[in-house]
Amino acid sequence: MQEAHAVDLGEILTLWSTVPFAGMLLSIALFPLFAPRFWHHHFGKISAFWAVAVTVPFLILYQGQALYEFLHIILADYIPFIIILIALYTVSGNILLRGTLVGTPVLNTFILFIGTVLASWMGTTGASMLLIRPFLRANSHRKNRTFMVVFFIFLVSNVGGSLTPLGDPPLFLGFLRGVPFFWTFSLFFQMVVVAAVLLTLYFILDSYFLRKEGIQAPRDNNEKEPLKIDGMHNFIFLIAIIGAVLMSGVVKLGEVNIFGIHRAIQDVIRDALLLLIALLSILTTKREIREDNEFTWFPIQEVAILFVGIFLTMMPCLKILQAGEKGALAFLVQTVEEPYHYFWVTGILSSFLDNAPTYLTFLSSLLGKFYSGMEASEAIALLIKENSIYLKAISAAAVFFGATTYIGNAPNFMVRSIAEETGTPMPSFFGYMLKYSLPILFTTFILVTFLFYL
Amino acid sequence: MAIEKILFPTNFRELSYSALEPLLVLKDAGLKEIILCHIILREDVGFVPFGGYMKDEEEKLREKARIRFEDWQKTITEKGIESRIIIKVGEPVPEIHHVARDEKADLIVVGRHKKMTIEDVFAGSDTLQIIQRSKVPVLVSKHMVQYEIDGDIHDKINDKIFQRPMLVTDWSEPCQRAMGLIKSLDKVIEKTLLFHDLESKVLSEHDKEEIQEIEDDRSDKLKAYCSILENGGVACEPHLGAGDLMDEIIRISRERKATMIIVGTSGKSRLSELLHGSISHEIAKKSELPTLLVP
Repeated sequence: MQEAHAVDLGEILTLWSTVPFAGMLLSIALFPLFAPRFWHHHFGKISAFWAVAVTVPFLILYQGQALYEFLHIILADYIPFIIILIALYTVSGNILLRGTLVGTPVLNTFILFIGTVLASWMGTTGASMLLIRPFLRANSHRKNRTFMVVFFIFLVSNVGGSLTPLGDPPLFLGFLRGVPFFWTFSLFFQMVVVAAVLLTLYFILDSYFLRKEGIQAPRDNNEKEPLKIDGMHNFIFLIAIIGAVLMSGVVKLGEVNIFGIHRAIQDVIRDALLLLIALLSILTTKREIREDNEFTWFPIQEVAILFVGIFLTMMPCLKILQAGEKGALAFLVQTVEEPYHYFWVTGILSSFLDNAPTYLTFLSSLLGKFYSGMEASEAIALLIKENSIYLKAISAAAVFFGATTYIGNAPNFMVRSIAEETGTPMPSFFGYMLKYSLPILFTTFILVTFLFYL
Repeated sequence: MAIEKILFPTNFRELSYSALEPLLVLKDAGLKEIILCHIILREDVGFVPFGGYMKDEEEKLREKARIRFEDWQKTITEKGIESRIIIKVGEPVPEIHHVARDEKADLIVVGRHKKMTIEDVFAGSDTLQIIQRSKVPVLVSKHMVQYEIDGDIHDKINDKIFQRPMLVTDWSEPCQRAMGLIKSLDKVIEKTLLFHDLESKVLSEHDKEEIQEIEDDRSDKLKAYCSILENGGVACEPHLGAGDLMDEIIRISRERKATMIIVGTSGKSRLSELLHGSISHEIAKKSELPTLLVP
């Protein structure tokens, strides 16, 4: 019955039904650029507008069927998505790296390396929030800090998150749809290539700028604070998060019906555990640690508000793509054929639209292309078995290309905001792309294409 | 314990300047410097969703605060008191604590400065958090208030707040420290009202003779405390209350025309305060008088 709904709706919907989704994503792309103050104060209303623009006509036209689809996307995708973000954001916000670090090319490259490794396990947002302030403090004596933050966004806020579903939201959405937890490890060599290129380039640039600046690292600083991590016990909570997510991918406990939507019991338990872990993390960590970390709920509230709009408006688009060649986007399904097509199209769209919905859109497109009409988890199992290179292409692209613009991935804007607040000038939206993304990232991605997709 | 440096954090709501003015008399009691502090909320300028940081907006808010503060500084300077301006971006409660610690402030002045309605409590959640965590005395300023007596609504302007303070004592260490603070304010205090309450529990658990004994004992203690203040040059008037503590504090403060309530904070843990409540916080919230809380 469920699948009949999915296929039927996907086959009958026209492209007009995707206008609210396009509107939502364009709002995210354009408002912060051209009307940041207006956007800052009214983004909730704009998100609500697009959500209403899609839900009201759908509920009138398709009634119960539409209600089912909207409830499904909220209960099965949006809520688990927000819960994992809350859990990772909260736990990592309760870990504080203290101490006096002096930014040198070796130390900075090491911090970026650690951040890249951590990102897959505590999320790109968590790793970014943990390390950006110490990284900026360590380099406060340096004149050229902009490129440092840019490379931080490249590596810690994006590329590093490619190895597990905890790393980056698109991969978690894939996990929710049935991609096994450890499958994403198959992106390991791609990640190593990209990270190695970027870290090497960073080291060269940092060494060059340090020499050019002619700055000596401050010595004999009387107020030198020894390095230490406060809230260390939160690493246990991070392990618990990994355990909870793994559990939901391994254990099968049957289903439960919530408002007519069938949800796996293990998924519901996972979500409850994640919320409990976040709560325990708050209760067991001194408030002063969060305060010194300048932890605030505001960024996660923003993401929660925006993504409810994204998920609701995304529904028609996903349905059409799942219908494959029977849907209104058949031309796209037919045109994008080769793995490298998927890599670049998913990637370029992930650069300008948020990477999570973009990933889900192209995952649906692949399912529609190869296994139209088949139940999602079954189709994904077959996709991994028979055509895994396509899944690798969209997974790697969604994560890697998220770094190419400020709007590609949520932590990008948080890092940019913190850097600007602490006095590091950051390039404009286009400056970031022209000066950094195009010459550095696109060149690296061409290399990845030759090595893995041709 | 003397007040030489005051931290005056403000978000420039209505009447915040009016709350600053009554503090200037403290010059006669040794006040040397007032730090005018404004915290720009981080979410007002940062974390633009998928955008960045509104540096120009921060600059604008900084300039606005600076211009307002500089206007206030003229009055402060005229009184011979030094002043400085601190404007930061962040979360108000922790930032205020950080500034108080870094600047070694002797007193933090907080509270709503607008006219409060009878439905409102006199201290919001930020104020209570500052009180709860402060290691230095906190004055909850209530410049213009509206309160109710027997169904009648009254308006009140608290201006000469140091004239007749009422110290609520339970003989605890914070109260002893409050006594020290009062002595340091001898030049500005006309008379101190020293208050202790025989709570309902005491009255209900003892017979008449025992109550008389307790009453005599507490009266003697009050007199002894008054003597200490008088020896320090502060006129003092002892008052013993009987019954619910909050009701008695409010009754005596109104009858005796107190201008401020001074109370020692319990130093209870957050959990204990959640479970049992805190009298000092209740006074800060419910009394129409400015409340000075001494940790």
